[in-house]
Amino acid sequence: MRLLKAMLALQEAKGAVTDADLQRLARDEGVPLHRLQGLRSFYPAFREQPGPPVQIQLCRDVVCRLAAGHDHCQRVRAAVGDRADVEVREVSCIGLCDQAPAMLLNGQPRRGRLEDVRACLGGTGSDSACVAGTTPARRWPTDPYASPQARYGSLRRLLAAGRPEEVIASLKQAALRGLGGAAFPTGLKWELTRHAAGAEKYVVCNADESEPGTFKDRLLLEQLPHLVVEGMLIGAWVIGARRGIIYLRHEYVHAAQALRQEIERAYATGALGQGIFGSDFGFDLELFISPGGYILGEETALLEALEDRRGEPRNKPPFPTNAGLHGRPTLINNVETFAAVPAICWHGPDWWASQGKPGYKGLKFVSVSGDVARPGVHCVPWGSTVREVLELCGGVAGGRKLKAFSPGGASTPFLPASMLDTPLDFDALKAVGSALGTGAMVFVAEHRNLLDVVLAQVRFFRNESCGKCVPCRLGSQKAVAMVEQVLAGAREALPVDLGELHETMARTSICGLGQVALLPLIDALRRFPREPSLQSLRRVRS
Amino acid sequence: MSGKMLTLTIDGRTVSVPPGTTIWEAARLLGIDIPVLCHEPRMEPVGVCRLCVVDVGERTLAASCVRLCEDGMNVVSQSAEIEHHRRMLTLLLLSEQPESSAREATTGDDALYALARRQGIDEIPFPDGARGHPRGRDDSSPVIAVDHQACILCDRCIRGCNELQHNHVITRSGKGYRARIAFDLDVPMGSSSCVACGECAAVCPTGALTHKALQHWRREWAGGEE
Ligand SMILES: Cc1cc2nc3c(=O)[nH]c(=O)nc-3n(C[C@H](O)[C@H](O)[C@H](O)COP(=O)(O)O)c2cc1C
Ligand code: SF4
Repeated sequence: MRLLKAMLALQEAKGAVTDADLQRLARDEGVPLHRLQGLRSFYPAFREQPGPPVQIQLCRDVVCRLAAGHDHCQRVRAAVGDRADVEVREVSCIGLCDQAPAMLLNGQPRRGRLEDVRACLGGTGSDSACVAGTTPARRWPTDPYASPQARYGSLRRLLAAGRPEEVIASLKQAALRGLGGAAFPTGLKWELTRHAAGAEKYVVCNADESEPGTFKDRLLLEQLPHLVVEGMLIGAWVIGARRGIIYLRHEYVHAAQALRQEIERAYATGALGQGIFGSDFGFDLELFISPGGYILGEETALLEALEDRRGEPRNKPPFPTNAGLHGRPTLINNVETFAAVPAICWHGPDWWASQGKPGYKGLKFVSVSGDVARPGVHCVPWGSTVREVLELCGGVAGGRKLKAFSPGGASTPFLPASMLDTPLDFDALKAVGSALGTGAMVFVAEHRNLLDVVLAQVRFFRNESCGKCVPCRLGSQKAVAMVEQVLAGAREALPVDLGELHETMARTSICGLGQVALLPLIDALRRFPREPSLQSLRRVRS
Repeated sequence: MSGKMLTLTIDGRTVSVPPGTTIWEAARLLGIDIPVLCHEPRMEPVGVCRLCVVDVGERTLAASCVRLCEDGMNVVSQSAEIEHHRRMLTLLLLSEQPESSAREATTGDDALYALARRQGIDEIPFPDGARGHPRGRDDSSPVIAVDHQACILCDRCIRGCNELQHNHVITRSGKGYRARIAFDLDVPMGSSSCVACGECAAVCPTGALTHKALQHWRREWAGGEE
């Protein structure tokens, strides 16, 4: 973390990490220049030269595209004109999908409509257009504590008279599965990490949430940071770790503030540090701000970043449970997964199970965006139908009919409106050929061009590929290029069967990104045979 | 290497190896030649080209150069599916290559060209990357020619320079499709801290890094044009 922290500090202080800075850093730290160049050029937070005083980063991904049109970025550029003091860059999803279109103005989250940009440029709107962190605080059913004084109650109880095995058994009985996308059984992960050999172990919270349409972790971090910290503490106690790190995407500035306050408060009240609540258990927790990139959410890429390398996913096995940070056993969970643990411990696994719809266990935070009347985060019983969630959000925007929805995130295939009664559940959505993923639901109204939507997802993966392995680095680029050539009329037919390319990427890519990069498009081609926008891609040169 | 021997089957044949052996190494013991581009036995494997993928019965194929043998493993290294993926990967790489390979033209041992010949590839269906996004050359070094267009990002030069020679000059720079190799803080090779040891050109499998002297002599032999 040393090198990246030093580089982030330089970037923060001077607006750039210049060659002269890196030469000095290389000398001071005794590392070769090429290593620092590898880092600076990999992470989007760094720039080689300072930019102009006004830097606008516009989201180019699917939800903002639906909200403001496919030419929004061009129109913003036109509005800015040739002003030398303003720079406009298009960036991947910044997690403000409930307030789309969104932007970062000098790193601060803002709404990004044309009028907002104009207001900011006129020097009037920079604060009034503030968006994130203003989501009104709600009472969430996964927070067992009525008052701030009661917080960390589950941890207190466990430290006084609990056994680690009981926690693992509770998580298993609650059927808690990873909510960062991969759905790995949490109790089993904790058990594997607890039993992994090694005197030193780590706990890492994956707060890198960067998939288009996903913003539930942002809300959890802003409003329930104490549950995330307590979940990590319980995890550390169970597996025997004394150090933890929260890996947060740098765009979540309000979440960073909430976490810093919570960590400070926890140290002050004896929930963090040595001898926690008078026990012999000690745990130190720190916040690490990611220098950027969706791929850092992949757990082994995240570990590479924490080890001051380019965030390229590792070949697996070994898995982090056995060989994670610095080769030591490491418990990595998603924000929502950790935040569920205190309630499961407090009320017991039976209570958690009873929160679900009949036949389902637990509560799920969903991020809802796209063509809905009131986008936002909701906490719903596990097994609620997609229709119920859509109704919570006021139905389809403008009273239109629904064309399709993606139930779980950028890689989860779009389903037709006829499947609205599918329950939100890992197995139920898998059975119909999609996935629950992180629970990022994107709704698309009938008048939309479905190809534009799914192609935006594929472009996102292409843009965010780390480039480590051949199938993903080249396959994602060629797929987008071929489709764009057909759409532009430069080719009559696709020269390669996209399904075959997808198969190769799915089977040979190192990590989940390359494995799913073409899936939204491939699946839409199969599932929506009559969708007009997709017809031009049905011809493949034989 | 300690502990008891592991027994596994590769393409139906049984082999016993000590723990820590990779599938690629075990296959070699059986005389099974799994194709590779990024792997070089003297270096730490990185598993990035994916040519060496094998089927170990999991959701995805495993890169045999990095995947360790496990007791009782059943490995398939040759099948119609695997050949198909290897061909697709080769086509993807070929679609980025320049008109001609400086290695093929000099020492005649461009590993990507050899792979393409072995697979009987005579046509590349993907859009031509060299035309769409040209990557450029770097002729600043007096002894080594750099053709970024021919680079397949196998990381062999990086490992050769940093791990084998400890000269610490080369890195991957940038990310995704725009990633390429760079010297020091991305300066021309000729003004970098390169000591011209020649390791990178020696281990490069393509025409990306080649010795200039050979090119020079080739031109002489061809009648001194240029
Ligand atoms: C490309 C990619 C991006 C990912 N991004 C995230 C992320 O932002 N947050 C997250 O929690 N998990 C993400 N994951 C999943 C993690 O690798 C890992 O499975 C997860 O953090 C484990 O926590 P869980 O079991 O609690 O879900 C990503 C995976 C891939 C392949
Ligand atoms: S699949 Fe893509 S993102 Fe994942 S390691 Fe390979 S190049 Fe990187």
